[in-house]
Amino acid sequence: MAAGPYNYSYIFKYIIIGDMGVGKSCLLHQFTEKKFMADCPHTIGVEFGTRIIEVTGQKIKLQIWDTAGQERFRAVTRSYYRGAAGALMVYDITRRSTYNHLSSWLTDARNLTNPNTVIFLIGNKCDLDAQRDVTYEEAKQFAEENGLMFLECSAKTGENVEDAFLDTAKKIYQNIQDGSLDLNAAESGVQHKPATPRSPISNDQPPSKEGCAC
Amino acid sequence: MADKEQGDVSSQQNNPLSRKLNKILETRLDNDKDMLEALKALSGFFSANNLRSRRNLRSDIEKKSLAINEEFLSAFQAVKEQLDSVYGDVQAMNDCCSDMTNRLKAAKAQTHHLMSQTTKLHAESQTLQMKEQVANAFLEKFQLKSDEIKTLRGPRDGKLHEDFFKVLARVKQIHSDCKVLLRTNQQTAGLEIMEAMALQMESAYERLYRWTQNECRILTSDSPDISPVLCQALEASQDRPVLFKYSLDEYGTARRSAVVRGFIDALTRGGPGGTPRPIELHSHDPLRYSGDMLAWVHQATASEKEYLQTLLRLCEASNASFEELLGHITEGICRPFKVRVEQVLVSEQEAVTLYKLDNLLKFYHHTIGQIVSSDSAILTTIAEVQDLSHRMFFNSLSCHANRLLDKVDLPPADLGPTSSLTQTLQLLRDVLACHDASVVPVDDKKQDYKQILSCVIDPLLQMCSMSASRLNTVDMAAYMINCIYLIQSTLALYQFTDTRLEMLQAQTDAHVDTLTSEQAAYVLNRVGLTLLYNGVQQQAELQAPLSHLQGMDSITVKSAMNKFDSYLASPDSLTLPQCSLLLGTLVRETLKRRSVELICQAYQQMYAAITNPKHEYKDTQAIVPRTPEQVSKLLA
Repeated sequence: MAAGPYNYSYIFKYIIIGDMGVGKSCLLHQFTEKKFMADCPHTIGVEFGTRIIEVTGQKIKLQIWDTAGQERFRAVTRSYYRGAAGALMVYDITRRSTYNHLSSWLTDARNLTNPNTVIFLIGNKCDLDAQRDVTYEEAKQFAEENGLMFLECSAKTGENVEDAFLDTAKKIYQNIQDGSLDLNAAESGVQHKPATPRSPISNDQPPSKEGCAC
Repeated sequence: MADKEQGDVSSQQNNPLSRKLNKILETRLDNDKDMLEALKALSGFFSANNLRSRRNLRSDIEKKSLAINEEFLSAFQAVKEQLDSVYGDVQAMNDCCSDMTNRLKAAKAQTHHLMSQTTKLHAESQTLQMKEQVANAFLEKFQLKSDEIKTLRGPRDGKLHEDFFKVLARVKQIHSDCKVLLRTNQQTAGLEIMEAMALQMESAYERLYRWTQNECRILTSDSPDISPVLCQALEASQDRPVLFKYSLDEYGTARRSAVVRGFIDALTRGGPGGTPRPIELHSHDPLRYSGDMLAWVHQATASEKEYLQTLLRLCEASNASFEELLGHITEGICRPFKVRVEQVLVSEQEAVTLYKLDNLLKFYHHTIGQIVSSDSAILTTIAEVQDLSHRMFFNSLSCHANRLLDKVDLPPADLGPTSSLTQTLQLLRDVLACHDASVVPVDDKKQDYKQILSCVIDPLLQMCSMSASRLNTVDMAAYMINCIYLIQSTLALYQFTDTRLEMLQAQTDAHVDTLTSEQAAYVLNRVGLTLLYNGVQQQAELQAPLSHLQGMDSITVKSAMNKFDSYLASPDSLTLPQCSLLLGTLVRETLKRRSVELICQAYQQMYAAITNPKHEYKDTQAIVPRTPEQVSKLLA
């Protein structure tokens, strides 16, 4: 069946977080449209983008929620963490303050998502190496200490943008494969669409309940 | 010699003998080969030249000739016989041939009929062949093949194959092609085929509908698996608007229940292992609780819209029906959502929280409004609860305002603001501050501010007036100025308060005016110039000179002027205590400046009167040693 871009077996939900002006929306735009948006307006609340990618032969639809970085939206954007399979935490390598705020973003992400959520640290604007304010090594160390994946990207040139999104998906897929991510549970941020036609009964299977961690 | 012979001929021409002789003589024997040959042959006849042979020459020759002729004869006899037999043969052949010719002629005559029949049949066969081709082509075009029919009827398990759509398209094509047939003289065929195709189509659509309906019915998982075949099926169903609509309704119902289930799960169950926690776990925190619900609704709406777009990507469904369907899908969560938010709103007393909720709802009304149409149930519901939150908020504000008026505090001794005023202003500050965090359009914000201000400021001013009602004029003016000053300085930080500020400024100005004249009067009174000043003011009506009036004689005036002089030395000594209680530095200075102006003006009038000879003051230089210019310089 030639279904083109509509055929996919999983949906992964992502959320992009980080300070205002670090280039979250530009990263999303670069990833979904493969273009750099020069005069990107401030995001109002939350915006939404999708793209279908392929990870080890599986078509996966990424449903990406791009949040506003402005403090005044914090209350609104916090509600979007729930059920995210991947969180892209972005800072701007030319502005130290955005890096310094990472721990608060990380706390939010840890508190509001599920334990299996893959958190990916992105140092954006790596094309502006001359104005660099945060070294690669420092951020790398931060990422390692906190068990995050890490890449420096540029939404402008597109460098590493693809990799950041794909690596996150690979990691999530790996979690599914090794069973650490329970697909049956609601709001895991991952939805599986079996390729074989399923019987209507299978849909009514209640999600397996795990012991409540809290 | 020839000449000689010629002479002979001419001389003996008429002599036959000579002619004969001549002839013999002229005969050239050596030239006559026949003669030579004959002579040669003759020479062989004779072996001996004797008399007898010479005499019998003639008969010998004749005999010889006879013998030869006989020989000829016998030889030719054989030839003749031979020829005769040849002739016989030829004759026989001729007979044979003519016999054959006859027989052929007969045969030809006999087969002529057959030939023409064959030709006819051949032509007929060609026509038939052509007809067969035409018929085949016709069938090819107007009939379904058996495997096509099989595809159309479908296998036992009811699965729909992609070929189904090709066949269905063919059936449709045939059906429409029949219209061409009906226009020709093949009407019967056209009608029959049309009928057959209509039947096929009917059953095919029936099957398509059943399949689509079934397929739609099971799309109840969190994310529906919309197969390409289903999209094709819906595309094909478009020809039957009713079936198409029913199929979509079925989809809508399935999705609607899926969304409701998802919502309830998110509310009560949460994620795997309780992370993310169920939304209801935060029901004690109105903002988070409502925010989480709204965010969930937002995400679900966006996802559902995408699924629907995927489902209908091949169809030309009108925008209206698309919106309607999306509205239907999201309609299910309206009730559980509304019940919860209403409960939050009703149990919330805090104006600030209510206002935050109001703004949150407004924000989501805007955000979700970009996804669904404005008349969808979910948007209407959000608008309703937003309206409720709006009302609850203003209700809470009015309650607060009413409480202010119910229990009016007395102004404190320092004429500063009462605690209820500062509390209310703090509340106002908090309320106005939360608008910073919201994303409501500027127009709304302006409208809101106007309403909030009138809801808070008017009762507040009323309360101040009421609490000031028992004070004397000066205290009241000072107190009101202080209250208004506080309100002003609170409002000045926010947008859209200009008109309010202007109004408040006007009120302040009125009170400042009162206080100014009170301050000036107080100074004049304390230095004992009131009487004189009043006299000066009324001098036009007076007949007598001022110095003749009681209390305005030179001595009294002089002592009063002395006191005034000491006031000039230390102007602050005669400031009203209320004036120093004023909170605003600017107001204080204005008040001071304007009261000084007033005093200078009064002094100038008094100075003019005293120095006027008409009033018969003596030694004016001693009474008023200072010119008005000097006074205003001193007081400046």
